Amino acid sequence: MGKEKTKLNYFFVKLVIVITHTVLLGNIYLNGNLTDYTEAIKLTVLVLGSDLIYFSVIHLFAQDVYTLDLILVLILNISLIFQSSFGGIDFNLKHFITTAAAFISCQVGFLLTRNNFKAEQRQKYYYAGICVLMVVIILFTGSRSMWINFGGFSLQPSEFIKPLFVFACATSLYKQQNKKKLGFLYVTPNNIAMIAMTAAILGLQWWCRDLGSIPTFGAVFGCAVVNRLCYPRAKFSKKKIAALICMVLVFAFAAIKLAPGYVKDRLYVDIWADQYGNGYQQCRALIAIAEGGWFGKGPGSGSLCNVAAYDTDIVFSSVSEEWGMLAAILFVLLILLMLLMPVINPPRCYYHGTIAAGVTAVFVVQMSLNIFGSCNLIPFTGVTLPFLSNGGSSMVTSGFLLGMLKATQSPKFVRNIVVRQPANASERRKVN
Amino acid sequence: MRSIKRNLVLIVTILVCFISGLIYLTYKIYRDSSFYMIHSENAVLGKVYDRKENVLFDQKATPDTYGADHFTDVASLIGNNDKQMTNTLVSNNLELLNNYSFSQGIHSADGQSAVYTTLDHEANQKVYQAFGNKNGTAIAYNYVTGEILVCVSKPGLNPFNGYTDLEEGSLLCKAFYKFTPGSTQKISTLAAARASLGEDLLNSMSFSCSGTYLNRGGQTIYCHNLSGHGEENISSAFANSCNVFFAQLVEDDRFNLNDIINSYKKMGYSVNKSDPYVMEINGISVQTASTTLTDKYDFSTQWGCIGQGETMVSPCMLMTWQSAIASETGKSVLPYLISYSTRVDGSKENFAEKSMSREFFDAPTAAYVKNIMIQNGQRYTDTIPGFTLGIKSGTAQVKNGDEENSLLTGFDTNPDHPIAFCVLIEDRHDGDIKTDSIVNTILTSLD
Repeated sequence: MGKEKTKLNYFFVKLVIVITHTVLLGNIYLNGNLTDYTEAIKLTVLVLGSDLIYFSVIHLFAQDVYTLDLILVLILNISLIFQSSFGGIDFNLKHFITTAAAFISCQVGFLLTRNNFKAEQRQKYYYAGICVLMVVIILFTGSRSMWINFGGFSLQPSEFIKPLFVFACATSLYKQQNKKKLGFLYVTPNNIAMIAMTAAILGLQWWCRDLGSIPTFGAVFGCAVVNRLCYPRAKFSKKKIAALICMVLVFAFAAIKLAPGYVKDRLYVDIWADQYGNGYQQCRALIAIAEGGWFGKGPGSGSLCNVAAYDTDIVFSSVSEEWGMLAAILFVLLILLMLLMPVINPPRCYYHGTIAAGVTAVFVVQMSLNIFGSCNLIPFTGVTLPFLSNGGSSMVTSGFLLGMLKATQSPKFVRNIVVRQPANASERRKVN
Repeated sequence: MRSIKRNLVLIVTILVCFISGLIYLTYKIYRDSSFYMIHSENAVLGKVYDRKENVLFDQKATPDTYGADHFTDVASLIGNNDKQMTNTLVSNNLELLNNYSFSQGIHSADGQSAVYTTLDHEANQKVYQAFGNKNGTAIAYNYVTGEILVCVSKPGLNPFNGYTDLEEGSLLCKAFYKFTPGSTQKISTLAAARASLGEDLLNSMSFSCSGTYLNRGGQTIYCHNLSGHGEENISSAFANSCNVFFAQLVEDDRFNLNDIINSYKKMGYSVNKSDPYVMEINGISVQTASTTLTDKYDFSTQWGCIGQGETMVSPCMLMTWQSAIASETGKSVLPYLISYSTRVDGSKENFAEKSMSREFFDAPTAAYVKNIMIQNGQRYTDTIPGFTLGIKSGTAQVKNGDEENSLLTGFDTNPDHPIAFCVLIEDRHDGDIKTDSIVNTILTSLD
C-alpha cells in the first residue's frame, strides 16, 4: 500500500516536471523571439523526450527516495531551455550533451558514495586523484591558467578537484579522533593530511590566478574544520568558533593585501564610474536584470548575449533579462531545495553528514560568487552557476556532487566482512 | 546522532546566509532598478513641463512637434540624455523621468513619468529674445517661494541641430557658473563694512574721489569716472559705484581685513581657497563665489573687493543673495526648479519644499543694504518703469580688459511680485542691448 502511494506521488511529481517544461516551451512559442520553428521543435522534442528517458533511467538505480533525481531532471531541462534561448531561439546541442553528462555523473557519484565504509576506505585514492589533477594542471595548462584546450574543447581540471576535495574532507568520527604519537605530540593523521592538501590546493589556485575558486575550497575546508573542532562536546565551542573566525579574518586580510593589482581593482571598483572598464560586465548584467523586470523581455529577446560570459559568469542576469528575475530566482530556489534535502531527510551516518555539508558549501559558495558577484554585491570573480552555466567541466562536477548528496538520502550500510579462517582443528570441528 | 545534527545545523546556517543574501539582492535590485535602467540604451524618458504645462523636453520630439526653435532658450538648462551636457535638469534627474517600473521591466516605456518645473517658458522665450544678438545670461526667481521662473543662457542650443559647429558656451547654463562680478561686488563689500563698522560709523565716513587713487602700496586705483565723484558718503559712493571710495574704505584702519574675510565667508565666498558655499538646484551644481584677499593695502585685494581681479561670483548666487537682502532676514530662500514629478503610473511625488539658506548677513545688515539698494534703484524708474526696485549694476573687465561684461542684480520690493534677478550681458560695447531693458522684460513678463 505504502509503495503504491509512493509510486502515485512520484507520478504526480513527474507530471509536474513535464508540465513545467511544457509551460516554459509554450512561452517560447507564444512570447519568444522565434525565427526558426525547427529549432523550437527540436528543443521541444529533446526536452520532453529526455524527460521520459531520465524518468526511466533513475529507476534502474534502487534508491530509498528519488526526490533529488526528479528535481535534477527538472533543473537540467530548464537549464537547456534557458541556454537555448539566449539572444534567439537556437537549440543548444552542446548544453544538451553536458546536461546528459551531468545526469550520468550524478549516478556515478551516487554509486561511489552510497556505501560510506567503502567510500571512506578509498580516501587515499582521493588524495592521489587530487595530486594527479594538480600535476596535470601544472604540466598541461597554459602558464598560470586552469584550462586545457584540445580541438574545439576546453577542460578545467580544477573543477574535478572539487568532489575529490569534498571526499578528502569527509570523515567518520573514528578517523577524525584517531590520534597517533608523533615524537612527543599526539596528532590526528586525517586532519594533518587534510590541512596539507588544502594548503597545496589553495597555493596552486593562487599561483594559477584562479582566485574565484579559492572561496569554494576554503568553504569546504571551513566546514570540515568546524566539524572537527566542535567534536566531542556535541555543541559548538564559542571560543573555538571565535578563534576560527579570527583566523579567517587574518587570512582574508592577508589575501587582500597580497592580491594582484587587477584583483584589488575589482575589490574597490565603482562599476558605474567605470562602466566601460572593470565594471562593464556587472553594469550590463544589472541593466539586463532591470530591463527584464519580474517577468522578462521574452525568450530570445535579450541583448546581454552580446556581452562576454553571458552564458556562464553572468548567466543569472541573462535568464533574468529574458525570462524575468522571478524565473531566475525560482531556478536558484530549486537548487536550494536539493541542498535542503539532507535537512528534511537527514543522513544516517556521520560520514555522509560531512559529505552533505561539503557539497552544500561548494554549491552555495559558487552560487554566491556567481550571482552576488555579477550583481555587484561582492567582487566579481567569474565562476559558474551550478547546472545553469554553460560548460562541461562545471556541469559534470555539479552532477557528481549532487550524486554524492543523493547518496546521503539512499545510503547502503554494508561492511566489507572479513571472513576469518578457523585457527585450529578444534575450532574447525566446532564450525562444522 | 547529535554529531549528525551538528552537520545539519551547519548546512542550515550556510543556506540561511545565502537566502538572506538573495533576499537582500532582490530588494536592492528592485530598489535600484530605475537607476540601472537609466544607463540602458533602451531607457525611455518622460517629458519635462513648465509651470503652465508647456513642454520643455520631449525625447521623441521632432522639429515639427513643437516648432524648430521651441527648446532653444531652455536646452542648456533642461538638457537631455545625450551625455553632451552633464549639469542639466534632465541629466541629473534621469531617475525621475525614467518611464520604468520593475514589475513591467522594459514594457513600461509608455508610462507617465514626468517632471513639472517652476519655469515660465513664455517669459523665458521673451527674455531670450530680448538679448537680441548679445550673449549672456539672465535668471530670476520668486524670493519668497524659491521658484525659478526665468533662466536664460546665450548662446542657446537648438537640440535638433546636433552638436557640431556650436558657439562657445552653448552647452552650459551660464547662470550657474562664475563670472567677474564688477561693481555688483560692492553689495558684498557694503555688507561686510556694515557688519564690521556698524551703521553709524559707516554713514559718517566720507572719502574724496578725484578719478584715481594712489593707495598705500603705491598702486593706482582708477574710477570709471576719471574726472572724479568728489566728496562721497557710502550711499552716494554705492550709487556712483565709485571704485576710489571703496578702495579707501577697504584701506581704512578701522576696517579690519579679517572682518572682510569673515563677512565674505559668511556670504558663501571661498576666500583664499577656503571651502565655498555649496549650492545645488535639483541636482544641478551651482558655482557660488570666490576671491583672494591677502593684504588690505595691496591693489589686488582692494581690486577684489571692488569686483575685479580674482573675485568671481555666479549670477545665480548674486540673485540668491537678493532674497536675504529683500526679506531683511539675512537668510535666502533657496531657488529650485522642480515643482513636482509624476511616477510611471501618473501619481504625483517629490513636491517641492521651501528651504532656507544659512545666514549670509545679519538681519540689520540685510535691512541696511536693502535700503541703500532701493535708493539706488530709484535711478531706474525711467528704464524699468512701474516697479520699486533695489538694484546694483556692475561692469566687469574681462579678457585682460579687451571686453566688458555688464551686470544688473536686484529685487522687486512689491510683496505681491517678489522677484529677485540677475542679468549679465557679455561684451556690452558691441551693441545697444542693456541689462535694464532685459530686467524690464523679465519683470513685465512675470507680472
